[in-house]
Amino acid sequence: MVKFIFRRLLVMIPQLFLLSLIIFVLAKQMPGDAVTGAFMGNPNVTPEQVEKIREQYGLNDPWYVQYGAWVGKAVKGDLGQSYTHKQPVTSLLAGRVANTITLSLFVLIVSYAVAIPLGILAGRWSDTWVDKLIVTYNYFSFATPLFVFALLMLFVFGFILGWFPTGGSVDIRIESGTFAQFMSKLHHLVLPGLSGALLATFGTIQYLRNDIIDTKLKDFVKTARSKGVPEGKVYTRHILRNSLLPIAAFLGYEITGLIGGSIFLEVIFSYPGLGQLFIQSITGRDFTVVTAIVMISGAAVIVGTMLSDVILSAIDPRIRIE
Amino acid sequence: MKKRSLMLLASLMLVLSVFLAACSGDDSADGGKDKDKGKDKGKDNEKTEEGSGDNAAELDFPLAVSNDAEAMEDGEMTVAMVAGEPFEGTLNRNFYSGTYDAEILSYFDEGLLDTDGDYLITNEGAATYELSEDNKTLTLKIKDGVKWHDGEPVKTSDLLYSYQLLGHPDYAGNRYDFIIENVVGMPEYHEGKTKEISGIEIINDQEMKFTYTEASPSILSGFWSYATPRHYVGDVMTGETTIKDLESSDKIRVNPIGFGPYKIDKIVPGESVLYSRNDDYWRGKPALKSIVQKVVSPATIVESVKKGDIDLATIPADQYLTVKDVDNIELLAQVDYAYTYIGFKQGKWDAKKKENVTDPDAKMASKELRQAMWYAMDNATIGEKLYHGLRFPGTSLIIPVFKSFHDESVEGRMFDPEKAKQLLDDAGFEDKDGDGFREDQNGEKLVINFASMSGGETAEPIAKAYMQNWADIGLKVELVDGRLHDFNAFYDMVENDDPKIDIYQGAWGTGSDPDPSGLYGRTASFNYTRYTSEKNDELLKAGTSEKAFDLEYRKDIYNQWQELMYEDVPVAPTVYRYALEAANKRVVNYSIEPGKESDRYKWGVAE
Repeated sequence: MVKFIFRRLLVMIPQLFLLSLIIFVLAKQMPGDAVTGAFMGNPNVTPEQVEKIREQYGLNDPWYVQYGAWVGKAVKGDLGQSYTHKQPVTSLLAGRVANTITLSLFVLIVSYAVAIPLGILAGRWSDTWVDKLIVTYNYFSFATPLFVFALLMLFVFGFILGWFPTGGSVDIRIESGTFAQFMSKLHHLVLPGLSGALLATFGTIQYLRNDIIDTKLKDFVKTARSKGVPEGKVYTRHILRNSLLPIAAFLGYEITGLIGGSIFLEVIFSYPGLGQLFIQSITGRDFTVVTAIVMISGAAVIVGTMLSDVILSAIDPRIRIE
Repeated sequence: MKKRSLMLLASLMLVLSVFLAACSGDDSADGGKDKDKGKDKGKDNEKTEEGSGDNAAELDFPLAVSNDAEAMEDGEMTVAMVAGEPFEGTLNRNFYSGTYDAEILSYFDEGLLDTDGDYLITNEGAATYELSEDNKTLTLKIKDGVKWHDGEPVKTSDLLYSYQLLGHPDYAGNRYDFIIENVVGMPEYHEGKTKEISGIEIINDQEMKFTYTEASPSILSGFWSYATPRHYVGDVMTGETTIKDLESSDKIRVNPIGFGPYKIDKIVPGESVLYSRNDDYWRGKPALKSIVQKVVSPATIVESVKKGDIDLATIPADQYLTVKDVDNIELLAQVDYAYTYIGFKQGKWDAKKKENVTDPDAKMASKELRQAMWYAMDNATIGEKLYHGLRFPGTSLIIPVFKSFHDESVEGRMFDPEKAKQLLDDAGFEDKDGDGFREDQNGEKLVINFASMSGGETAEPIAKAYMQNWADIGLKVELVDGRLHDFNAFYDMVENDDPKIDIYQGAWGTGSDPDPSGLYGRTASFNYTRYTSEKNDELLKAGTSEKAFDLEYRKDIYNQWQELMYEDVPVAPTVYRYALEAANKRVVNYSIEPGKESDRYKWGVAE
């Protein structure tokens, strides 16, 4: 297992390298750069100064020179300077990553907390009214666009009922580092978190339900039943153990999603995270930030898939990676 | 990964479109229809034909709130920054670039010199100034009792520090401009040849002298009077810190100080700022005990304002109809420091000589053609239908915000297709082959390529409307590449004089200096149309000459210049815009009038 993980990590290096090369070349293909049109507000700036800024940020160099310089620094952990934000990319990202991960983790946990019981219920009592209700909800959640649902949640629970704050990640008036601040953060997390989670349940519910219905008819379940195992135990011991396997394996992939952030939730709830930063950096041609975010989510994908494999082999004795 | 970013991009577009759709919603569609019903089409035309520079008159917004109650003791206020993205948080005047950063800065930091309604410096601020006889030396005196938030007095060396930063060879911001460069010794310092700026002399802690290479009235509108707390942020000059470290330091991003009416207590990065009253503020005790300023999404701003969560907010133009009838607020507006225009490409930028070279054979070289195209655009209808009157036809290139310099007598070329046709006929643009479109003066086919920016729901309809307007007078205008271009792609082409472009739609923020030479001068790289003329050179020079310190003289020069632009049409101003603000009815002493910035400390809330 250790060997397997080690090998996967080793493969990661050329993968990331290739990814960085591709994203770099593509980014430079975009017309304009961070300085283009940046002076709409101060027409008196001298043309020499504009040129100087391009020089300082190396924007006039050919892409391979820029790429070389970037790689040289990146291996030392320096992802460059953001033109728009005037600070090192690493510290810029550090500020946003925490928010993004908190929100995504909340979404992930809540969506599993909702989806797994519902999936089990629907599977166990398939074709009853409970099942039909859950399936209906499921298709609704599948068909509803996130931005519509999030706005609706915001208007109902934020503006009309006033139960939750309508934007931001924390109430700034509350003193830092206190328990009250933690509660305030949680309070701010509920609406965006629920909006995201309630729409993220589709895959899990559907998968679980189908798998349980499928497994119910399997021979080993029939055997268990005929041996006189109580119905409850048939489910917990035999069926669920099989049906939850793939769900657990998916967890690794979900990690991938944690990093990307959700542009919809971030914009609607004014929740500063990576998603917005990514879009902002693309439109503003803030290349260093774009590259850094792509690299991070690229690394997350690779680690996530590896994690999936590891989880799978850890819980399923039939699959063992040597 | 590519797929992922593509998806993100696609989703962003969806978000935007939905926001816009949600914001303007049904109301706008209905409102539009009602207007159509109510008005006789013929009458409408008549009105626009007569329309003088007074098109703004239809909408009339106050500049100040009407509540004249006393501000309550220890009030608290919540101010919105209406944005779909976090603020950047570079909270220093020398380095910031975002507009939201500027909004934050204005609460805790101010310039040493105040400005009046024409954006000219006055002696009402934290310092006074005096110009020498030859207008080349400015002596500045800081008043007593002006203190940074940490209690240290604001010193002349703090203002010098700002100049040392702006001119520093490592400085990569956009504020090293002609006015800064005009300080004696600045170019040498900027190139790193010396460590001293010879033109700035410190007499004592409260008095200093600036000497300029050329006497120019631009000093009066563009004088950089923002000091930087040298003792607090660290000194680049002694090697204590570097420009790069300074820009990203906590002293600028986490707990910056200034000498404005409110102190920053806390910042949640990208999201909100908490201020408390600066009891030692030099103008007097600020009215509010604390202020929370936070980012609010454009999708929810109207609801937030309606609910009373927000006391002050800028309102995006496309939400005007929904916010108009909210009854716990008052709407204020003033004409924004910007105008939209159609530019007619007439030459190239000569990078070697660093000047614009006009090509007399350019497709758009005919003055009559440009005039006709201006006459053909129905800007009044665009402003009314697409912006509910929040945009209105532009007349001149010095916007009405500059009260003393905007020439009211220049009426612009209001929608008049007949006049446009007449002009084209007279100039020899005639349809010789009978295809419905005019050929050029030599009888060659004339296809004008039009570049316009994408973004927002109005970009496409506006471009289409203009193209239709021009087709109506017999000009064949086509979109460059058959589509709109995104901001960067657009300016990349325009800046580099891409031969694909004959005309383009752009917009300029004017800044606070009325001097137009940065946008229309012979040596201005931002003069994207590459229009030049001797008369233009002459007037622009005169406008910033020593004689122009005389306001009447300068006014006269700029009136002549506006006449010239009206006649030559290097660009045709299309619309001016209102910047709309909502203030809760409990807000008192609040005004957005230019020159009233100094009253910020009086802003308050009533019971």
